[in-house]
Amino acid sequence: MKDDDIDVEGEFGFEPAVSATGATADRDPAQRATKRRTRFGRRAGATVVLFAALASMGSVYAAFAASSGASDTGTSSEDIAAGRQLFEVSCITCHGANLDGIEGQGPSLIGVGGAAVYFQVSTGRMPLAQQGAYAPRKPAKFDEAQTEQLAAYVESVGGGPVLPQGTLRGDDSMIALGGELFRLNCASCHGTTFKGAPLSAGKVAPSLNESTDQQIVSAMLSGPENMPIFSDNQLTTDEKRAIVVYIQTLKASRDPGGSGIDRIGPVSEAIVAWVGGVGALMVAILWIGARNR
Amino acid sequence: MSDHAPVEAPTEEEVRQMTPEEAMIAGAATDDIHIVHRRDRFPIRGTKAEQRSERGVALCFTISALAGVAFIVYFIVGKWHWHLPGTTQSFALYTPILGGTLAIMFLFFGMGLVLWAKWLMPEEEAVQDRHDVPSTEEDKLMTEATLLVGLEDTGLPRRGLIMRTMLLAGGAFATVPLVALVGAMIKKPGDRLFHTLFKPNPDMFPSSNGMVPIVYSDWRPVSPDDLEPGGIATVFPGVRAKTPEGYDGVTDASSPTLLIRLRPGQSVKPRSGQAGYGWPANGPEYLAFSKICTHAGCPASLYEQQTGRLLCPCHQSQFQVLEDAKPVFGPATRSLPKLPLAVLEGEDGRQYFYAVHDYPEAIGPAFWERP
Amino acid sequence: MSSSAQTRKRGEPRTRQGKAGKFLDDRLNLAKPMRTQLNKVFPDHWSFMMGEIALYSFIILLLTGTYLTFFFDPSMGETTYNGSYVPMQGIEMSRAYASTLNITFDVRGGLVVRQIHHWAALLFLAAMLIHMFRVFFTGAFRKPRELNWLIGLGLITLGIIEGFAGYSLPDDLLSGTGLRIADAIMLSIPVVGTWVSFLVFGGPFPGDLIIGRFYIAHVLLIPAILAALIGAHLALVVRQKHTQFPGVGRTEDTVSGERVFPLYAAKAGGFFFIVTAICCALGGLAQINPVWLFGPYTPSQVSSGSQPDWYMMFLDGSTRLFPSWEIRLWGHTLPPLFWPTVVLPGILFTLAGAYPFIEAKMTKDTKKHHLLQRPRDVPVRTALGCMAITFYIVLFLSGGNDIIAKAFDISLNAMTWGGRIALLILPPLAYATAYRVCLGLQRHDREVLEHGVETGVIRLLPNGEFIEVHQPLGPTDDHGHGRLGYAGTPVPKRMSQLGGGSPLKQIRGFFYPVKEKPEIQAQLDELEAGGNGHAAIEGSDAPKQLTD
Repeated sequence: MKDDDIDVEGEFGFEPAVSATGATADRDPAQRATKRRTRFGRRAGATVVLFAALASMGSVYAAFAASSGASDTGTSSEDIAAGRQLFEVSCITCHGANLDGIEGQGPSLIGVGGAAVYFQVSTGRMPLAQQGAYAPRKPAKFDEAQTEQLAAYVESVGGGPVLPQGTLRGDDSMIALGGELFRLNCASCHGTTFKGAPLSAGKVAPSLNESTDQQIVSAMLSGPENMPIFSDNQLTTDEKRAIVVYIQTLKASRDPGGSGIDRIGPVSEAIVAWVGGVGALMVAILWIGARNR
Repeated sequence: MSDHAPVEAPTEEEVRQMTPEEAMIAGAATDDIHIVHRRDRFPIRGTKAEQRSERGVALCFTISALAGVAFIVYFIVGKWHWHLPGTTQSFALYTPILGGTLAIMFLFFGMGLVLWAKWLMPEEEAVQDRHDVPSTEEDKLMTEATLLVGLEDTGLPRRGLIMRTMLLAGGAFATVPLVALVGAMIKKPGDRLFHTLFKPNPDMFPSSNGMVPIVYSDWRPVSPDDLEPGGIATVFPGVRAKTPEGYDGVTDASSPTLLIRLRPGQSVKPRSGQAGYGWPANGPEYLAFSKICTHAGCPASLYEQQTGRLLCPCHQSQFQVLEDAKPVFGPATRSLPKLPLAVLEGEDGRQYFYAVHDYPEAIGPAFWERP
Repeated sequence: MSSSAQTRKRGEPRTRQGKAGKFLDDRLNLAKPMRTQLNKVFPDHWSFMMGEIALYSFIILLLTGTYLTFFFDPSMGETTYNGSYVPMQGIEMSRAYASTLNITFDVRGGLVVRQIHHWAALLFLAAMLIHMFRVFFTGAFRKPRELNWLIGLGLITLGIIEGFAGYSLPDDLLSGTGLRIADAIMLSIPVVGTWVSFLVFGGPFPGDLIIGRFYIAHVLLIPAILAALIGAHLALVVRQKHTQFPGVGRTEDTVSGERVFPLYAAKAGGFFFIVTAICCALGGLAQINPVWLFGPYTPSQVSSGSQPDWYMMFLDGSTRLFPSWEIRLWGHTLPPLFWPTVVLPGILFTLAGAYPFIEAKMTKDTKKHHLLQRPRDVPVRTALGCMAITFYIVLFLSGGNDIIAKAFDISLNAMTWGGRIALLILPPLAYATAYRVCLGLQRHDREVLEHGVETGVIRLLPNGEFIEVHQPLGPTDDHGHGRLGYAGTPVPKRMSQLGGGSPLKQIRGFFYPVKEKPEIQAQLDELEAGGNGHAAIEGSDAPKQLTD
């Protein structure tokens, strides 16, 4: 894992998805500096990479990915070292020096894999603000590169599921299949309109509104908190891609029937009917019934 | 009627001498409707105020007409075909603009009518007698007598035989359509609620001694290698033959099953007699429960892999999988039925799940015949 | 004018109205009954228009529903979708669901009609409910109108069934889940439950004909019964005449207001179009029941946050709150579902239906009543009503308690327990509060009648005491106490409610007052000086005479 063959390509071997493009191959420290921009820039950058670079450089990347070996994610020792440093600053108090967890503080990270780290850190859930039934999403503390370094470090210690490389989003022909799989496997908790739902006693299945492709796939692979794990044997990589393209397509789709009233369903419809509809009708009858003398 | 508030109806000649308004008022008065207040809002014709009111009402109707035209135009030229995101999905404006123009059309038409009444029509206050006079005693007595004599004429009170046979026929009349309809619709439940398609079927599955293979929704057989610890899958009986209603193993409503792989360290307190239902039989790692909630039949499938709780999204019954899906919260009263699992080697050398036999009890919501 | 009258042939009307009237009268002898109906007096209080909303939305439902039947295919036969909505292409689904997608995506303007239909349904039931509470709180259900109260209750019950049947027709994942619960409710009935379920579904759930059966019930059977009941409801209103709050000209023997033609007809007709406009605005601007997001119904799938439409939500709530009590006797089961979904609504509707008779019995009131009561004047009834509403609202909110839990970060278990406790505590609390408020308002009315309205004018008495000057409402006795008794009508509480009100109301014009031409202004002033305008209708250009 540490002595892989893409060391020469710099310190960015482990690239879960967002910026996982052929550009990695010739990135230098100067580019790295440009990568550390404001949050906004980072997001915008990620979006650009997501929508443009993946398409244009997909073939370059495919060649690169093929050369990097099977399940190996191409992690460099520098990444691991950097990740270790980050870990020892921010994570060690709960997860312990050997990643084996501290009773009552944090679980062991042995074997959780890079996917789990990527999900937890990129959604801002880790580092945890406070113990509770459920860790809510919040702004990420680490940028993309640091997240990857952390993932590389945790993975180097205990192994476990990692994010696949390459595009995680299927093409348009897979949307319908993805929808069927989503409704069967995911909708029971996250809802057909991705609104999420409360679970028992304060636990929550979060909304998918802000989830990126990487976060969706890493969540399926790692089963964060109480979410069941969906391994590649159960839902193949292609099926996961189909689910991702379904979610992201529907999120990006505009509502054909006017305001989606948050796509909550009968509850928001009831509110609109009673407040908007009945309210307007009451105004109307007060106006008609008023005497104008 | 007129004895309550005597109003002399005018003669024809008198009416002919009246202005229309007088005649109208007189007509109302003969019906005991008294127009106690009536005032033209614009006694002087042609005032600016009147013109202004008139223009206001006309403006409403004009806007209504324009909105109608706008609706027709947009209905024809508007882009309305749904397409994937990427380019601007301008169809999203179609329904709002149609609804909006319709709303403007109707709203201003309605407002025009109301304003017309409020601004231009003479204001009036009319008082109408209710005439809620009870029937007179004479009337009541005579009606009662009519009923009585009518009944006497039929002779029914004396001719009990006719009465009884007619009632009998009437009962038959009433029952016939009921029987015909219910009889056509009724279906004997039999034991259909007690079985699912997991029922062993030696004809269909001879190689597994009749045990039904467990498959995913795409008919792929389920292998113990598929699930990670803490994983779940919705699985079905691999029965492709259709029921009389046209449902196969995957679409049948009683068969959806939740296959759960426990996390390391999780163990199950089995209910009595069902200890060997998981797989492996001792120290089970895999458990399969009916996905159909025992409360109201929703698929209970919100599984919390760490706590082992399984939640139903409809009425929030919560089941503890680690206590063999015992209900621990909410309205459900019964544990989810448990499917006995077996693993056989397939032709490709991999291991696959089978149901040893059907659920030991009826799945889904409870009913009267269920013990 | 008399000369022209003589030249006119007898029985030959000149005006167009007269000619049309003659045509009908020659055949149907309509002259008198038609005039009676045209002159029928309707009171015009705003709260009397709530039932109209229900009537109008029913008409809208009939019209939009007819449109939808041209495109909807009520079949559970399986088909593969190949319409223009990409995320469903190639998916196996029922023809009912596929045709709903077609109405949405492949019928031009179909979506807006579908949405108007659904919103109108929500408003139909909402209007019936608020109409019912108006009738309840004002005592309009009392003798002789108990029959109409029962018909109204039947309308609400049928409306709920009709709504549920319509909600189930698209055969989507959300409504299918609801249908499965409906099946579970049928199964829960003691002794005959399984037979009822198999009878309705034609076999075990879901069978292959339930959509067709619901369809014919939804588009023919129930609407026909609804229309007949609405007809009876209105016929009884016409026969018994409208109730009214007491006032001048408004006694047990008289009803006061505007005649049907033209004033009431114009207002009611205008209101019909306004109700239609609101339905259209909702249908265009707010997306309702997006079945394409839910997917086709499959028994193995479910979405979190599944709710029925609002009028069923109280039943969902009662089911969520009901504890897990199951009775097992002699090899039989009485499921917990039976109590909150069959027994509870049964009790609620029976109580509502029996209420007029219960109240008459308790108050030993056998008289007829045509005058309404102000809610404050009947504290027990008002308090009971508030108690019922509170009970209903707790159930209603519990029907969406998962959405509330998610939105406000509350534990789901806490929501359930909160609902259970609130269901027991809040209704009696509402009763006590409403009762107290009623008494307080009553007392205040009496106080104002006795002492007059507070003027805000403070007077310094010679002895140095400050008092507020009160304006008596009527004649006073030697002690300055008002002699007016309470008459069941609103008592003015502010000075602005006495007298003519703001002088601004007399001025026409929105942005600036209208300036009339001098000669017209002079006429107007003359009229003003000459008293009211009652006589002025025979002014400069009075309408032509009949005999002209």
